[in-house]
Amino acid sequence: MVAIELEAVSKRFRLRTILPATTLKTAVVERLLGRRRDGGKRRESAFEALRDVTLTIRQGQTFGIIGRNGSGKSTLLKLMAGIYRPDAGRIRTFGRLAGLLELGAGFHPEFSGRENVFINGIVLGLSKREVRGRFDEIVRFAELEPFIDEPVRTYSSGMYMRLGFSVAIHTDPDILLIDEILSVGDESFRKKCLEKIADFQGRGKTLVLVSHDLPSVAGWCDEVAWLERGAVREQGDPPKVIEAYHRGLAGET
Amino acid sequence: MGALLGELFAYRALIQSLVLRDLKARYRGSVLGFLWTFLNPALLMGTYTLIFSVYMRIQMEHYPAFLMTGLLPWTWFSSSLVVGGTSVVQGGELLKKVFFPPQVLPAVSVLANVVNFLLSLPLLFGFLLIFQIRPGLAVVALLPIVAIQLVLTYGLTLMVSSLTVRYRDVAQLLGNLLTFWFFLSPVVYPAEQVPEPLRPLLMLNPMAPLLMGYQNVFLHNLWPEWTGLAAAAIASMGAMTVGWLVFNHFRWTFAEEV
Repeated sequence: MVAIELEAVSKRFRLRTILPATTLKTAVVERLLGRRRDGGKRRESAFEALRDVTLTIRQGQTFGIIGRNGSGKSTLLKLMAGIYRPDAGRIRTFGRLAGLLELGAGFHPEFSGRENVFINGIVLGLSKREVRGRFDEIVRFAELEPFIDEPVRTYSSGMYMRLGFSVAIHTDPDILLIDEILSVGDESFRKKCLEKIADFQGRGKTLVLVSHDLPSVAGWCDEVAWLERGAVREQGDPPKVIEAYHRGLAGET
Repeated sequence: MGALLGELFAYRALIQSLVLRDLKARYRGSVLGFLWTFLNPALLMGTYTLIFSVYMRIQMEHYPAFLMTGLLPWTWFSSSLVVGGTSVVQGGELLKKVFFPPQVLPAVSVLANVVNFLLSLPLLFGFLLIFQIRPGLAVVALLPIVAIQLVLTYGLTLMVSSLTVRYRDVAQLLGNLLTFWFFLSPVVYPAEQVPEPLRPLLMLNPMAPLLMGYQNVFLHNLWPEWTGLAAAAIASMGAMTVGWLVFNHFRWTFAEEV
């Protein structure tokens, strides 16, 4: 059974950051004058973040994605999560998917932990009733019982991350996308998270992991893809791919 | 359009909790609570009464009541557009991290404002009582009037909120436009004051029949003029269609551009 399928997926980003024409006024004026300031040539250049990526991730697999900064790993996760739409190719996912792309996304600082758990849980696809049913467990796991009715702005960054992780993992999706967050909290909390993820794996769920922590990737994953400048350079057995990646890094320096 | 409504329905739990969050955030820590909603129209009412009834000595019966009846729905309209116009940009952090249909964000702004408007109605009834005005059965007509205004407001907010992502000066432009629009709408003057030859100009404005509807219902216990209302309904469907087309055109760029 397939969990995620990518067929010849490409993603481009327009590079517009240095462009002045981001106001309606400029856009209208330029159009009225019938010219663009560079003499008619399109100034928008594109950066190809992913090129022709084809991947199949099976259900129950723990799939690792490695590569240097800027190789397209996070873009790939965002495409899988449906946040970006590919410019070419096709992506299909089967089952409920949750992304730990950033913990506590959408937490509102003025609201209590309790209120944020509800909103965050609903954002991540739970119903209100489901959040209510899991609420105590979420708070207990995050070790925030005494503070749950305090506004989130008073939380330390560790508390914030713990609550975010706890909500996300308790949504119990079929597919979990994780972007470099296996370093939440102190040693004991980290251990709890890893146990939770191992439990998740044990129940035959699918996990996609982006990380620079190669020993972790080797330990957790049963398949790894190495991305290089937006394309899959090598894919397969973790030790083999990681070794190739190391050699690649060494060869370039 | 079906996709728009279908996705909104699928995410109703999210909309509900975000609307509640919006309302709570607005009133938390303020003693007067939702009276704040009433405060801004009340101040405007006082100012216009001073200018037109006292300074300019224009005689009109129950002028403060007339003003209040138009100011409340106008405030709902304009603050929906102003707040909703930046809703996609404001909600950008969320859009970048979790997948959900982005039209939820402007919907939340518009709905939070409609709840505010509805909550202020009892206060309006109390205010009207001071002038011995007792609305009657015609309040039933509020249902279609509010519904049409809701569709109109949401359609325009969809358009503005998506354009604001690409063109950040749209928000400023909107502020100016709304000022013009306000004075071209029959809020501080009754529509009957508009000279006959200029009436068509008034009727090009879908807010005009709506405001006249509120005034008829609240002040005179009269049914609204259905032809005008029907025209407003058609205009609001048009606004919704165009708004959705524009929004849909930009929708997949939001996560990259906010």
